Amino acid sequence: MTTIGWSGVSTTAFSIALFAYLAAMLGYFHHLAFRRRAVVLAASAVAWAGLLAHLVSVVARGLAAGRVPWGNMYEYSSLLSLLTVAGYLGYVELRHGLRQVGGFVLMFAVVTMAIAVELLYVGPAPLVPALNSYWLKIHVVAAIVGSSLFALGGVLTILYLVQEARERRAAVAPPPIMGGAVDVEAPPDHAGSPDEPVGGGTGRRGVLPPTAALDRLAYRTIAFAFPIWTFAVIAGAIWAQRAWGRYWGWDPKETWSFVTWTIFAGYLHARSTVGWKGRRAAVLALVGFVSLLVTYYVVNLWIVGLHSYAGV
Amino acid sequence: MRRSLALVWRTLRSMRTALVLLLLLALASIAGSLVPQAANSPEAVAAMARDHPLRAELYARLGLFDVYGSWWFTLIYTLLLLSLAACLLPRTRALVRNLRTRPQPAREVDGFRHHAAVPVGASPAEAVAAARRLLRRRRFRLSAPDGGAALAADKGLAREAGSLLFHWSFFLLLVGVAWGKGTGFTGFAVIVEGQAWTEAHANYDGNLREGTFFGEDHTGIRIRVRDFEDRYLPDGQPTDFVTRADLLSPDGTLLERVDIRVNQPAEVGGLRVYQYGYGWAPVLEVRRDGQLLAQAPIPFQQDPPPRGVSPLSLPWRGALKLPSLSPQLGVELDLWPDARGLVGLLAGRPIPMTEARDPVLLFRVYRGDLHAERVQRSADLDTRDMRQIAAGALGLGRTVDLETGEEVEPDAPGLTMTFAGLRRYTVLQVSRDRGLGLVLGAAILMLVGLLPALFSSRRRLFLRADPAPGGAVVRVGGFALQHADRFEEEFRRLVEELGRAGGPIRESAGVGAG
Repeated sequence: MTTIGWSGVSTTAFSIALFAYLAAMLGYFHHLAFRRRAVVLAASAVAWAGLLAHLVSVVARGLAAGRVPWGNMYEYSSLLSLLTVAGYLGYVELRHGLRQVGGFVLMFAVVTMAIAVELLYVGPAPLVPALNSYWLKIHVVAAIVGSSLFALGGVLTILYLVQEARERRAAVAPPPIMGGAVDVEAPPDHAGSPDEPVGGGTGRRGVLPPTAALDRLAYRTIAFAFPIWTFAVIAGAIWAQRAWGRYWGWDPKETWSFVTWTIFAGYLHARSTVGWKGRRAAVLALVGFVSLLVTYYVVNLWIVGLHSYAGV
Repeated sequence: MRRSLALVWRTLRSMRTALVLLLLLALASIAGSLVPQAANSPEAVAAMARDHPLRAELYARLGLFDVYGSWWFTLIYTLLLLSLAACLLPRTRALVRNLRTRPQPAREVDGFRHHAAVPVGASPAEAVAAARRLLRRRRFRLSAPDGGAALAADKGLAREAGSLLFHWSFFLLLVGVAWGKGTGFTGFAVIVEGQAWTEAHANYDGNLREGTFFGEDHTGIRIRVRDFEDRYLPDGQPTDFVTRADLLSPDGTLLERVDIRVNQPAEVGGLRVYQYGYGWAPVLEVRRDGQLLAQAPIPFQQDPPPRGVSPLSLPWRGALKLPSLSPQLGVELDLWPDARGLVGLLAGRPIPMTEARDPVLLFRVYRGDLHAERVQRSADLDTRDMRQIAAGALGLGRTVDLETGEEVEPDAPGLTMTFAGLRRYTVLQVSRDRGLGLVLGAAILMLVGLLPALFSSRRRLFLRADPAPGGAVVRVGGFALQHADRFEEEFRRLVEELGRAGGPIRESAGVGAG
């Protein structure tokens, strides 16, 4: 097939994936509100189909450009959302059964992909010399994998904070009158229904999984992401040494990836420090998530540095 | 005095202090990414000094234009180092002590978070021996054999060891960064094709960035550039930049022939040489009445292009200065490496000039005071006290009369300028950083330490076997300091295996947790 052909395949598959995620997201949210098992199973199937299309899109993109498909922001965003969705479907949903999180993760993927295709799209092309190094391939892959896991951890952390606030209110006050529609209608024994294997304690606390599950999963995701991110920063430094003659030059990207690293390091320490468990640690993780977004979007698009993407 | 020192030490020793310092370092570096840094973007700093003099003055006083070299950044950095060491020393001592001593059996095993009792067919001593074999196979550390019926085991010291390795490596990395930058330097060499450049302080272009402890020990190594080549796609996107050079020792013997590319530096005498930039250097000859006055390739420069415009479609700027004439003479020059580029830009359709093709020099001749005593960029002409006397265009191999701007023969009378040739020049970044190996090694060790520090857990088991009718009852207790949920499963399996190892008696294992 010609390059143009693969390029077309890539964009078509990208659109299919985007709409599949969007549909699946609506399905997951519908399930959150109305608890229809058929809907959530369909949503899950659609999300898997979207993931497959997404994979096709990324591979076709690589074939069209004749190189690894992570050479610019569009491709980076695409792979980032692919891995985030894959991480959710493969780990959070299959392993831990926390389907209630699905809509939010897919929302992150949909927004990332929409920004990518609307604002960051460029055609497939070879790389400029500075980007043409195998360290780049290693560095960027590690950065994408680390970012997608941090993003997953970020979504889980946000839900944790929401749920934690609810549980705190519920602990202080008697069962709520306002905003309790779902709680009241939920069957008393749904906690143990096969639909929600881990959502055991959701009970009357609302539609989200219990804080303990969210907290544990967020921690595991972030703890898994941290060494990968560390490796990404190191690989980036090695590449910078080869390309620019210094492994660290306080370029905005370097600075912000260090800041992100520092905040998550703080989070991991906070988790093991008495008095910082739970909400305070979660807030730190949230700050880290924001810092990650700054590292990616703000640094690339607004701050001038060696990682700016000219013309995008 | 001693009490306040003890207080300082206690404060430094707390993990919270180290964390706060690390976060402070992050905050300080954010400041450095938001305020333009003199080292990275001098133009932005100059622009702020012009547009907001008061703010610029304040920023300069606070060291905000050079955050990473400011005294307060160094202070945070140093305190972080001290605090890290203060945190780690006691922990390391404790780990060593822990490694030297073996676990001690407990008198009661039922008080632990997980506990179970398994009846087995073996005698108490045999049951303990079997448990010992089983746990050793599972890589538990065991208490000293005392012939008694009690046993203690633990596992997962790798967690603390990994954590300490990670933190000590981070410490080493910080030391390596400070040492490497402190004793190193970075500078730029501008070398025209066919010329040789000697590594010495005076020969660097612009400012040399030196570490505080750099001892001016330059190498005297010479770099002779044979040629420079750049390749592009038809749309002007670059695909390759390469400088082909000979590296010579100070006495002129050839050390190595190298191709220096982006991502492919050369190494010589503890220095690393990187491809950094390139440009055009027209060779100009100046004659008076046919007598050669001066002849040299002049490296031309390019201003940063406006947004969205490829620098390849814009001309190169240079100046020819003749301060020895009186009155002095200066020529402003614009080079169009490809004549079609000039036509294209005039027609509003800029085209990338990726190779020399009918190159054209536009010139404007000025007479007056060059102010050569002032510091100025080589490509700039200070024309305040000068008057333009001629202007025109000059093709390759042609000669003009500088007084009139008319084209003439090379041996014509009067002052003439000849566009004798067009060469490339390359900009190489030369740097020395002796901390590289240390920093890389430390970074790798950080990763090595990080994995057990995050993913293994410390587990302790206590076991005793008491005589019972038909054999013995093995009581086991234990807990995990991390990943408690995963330990529950491990403990259940261990208890099952202990039961099997002790031989069958009755299948009514009283396994219970919590």
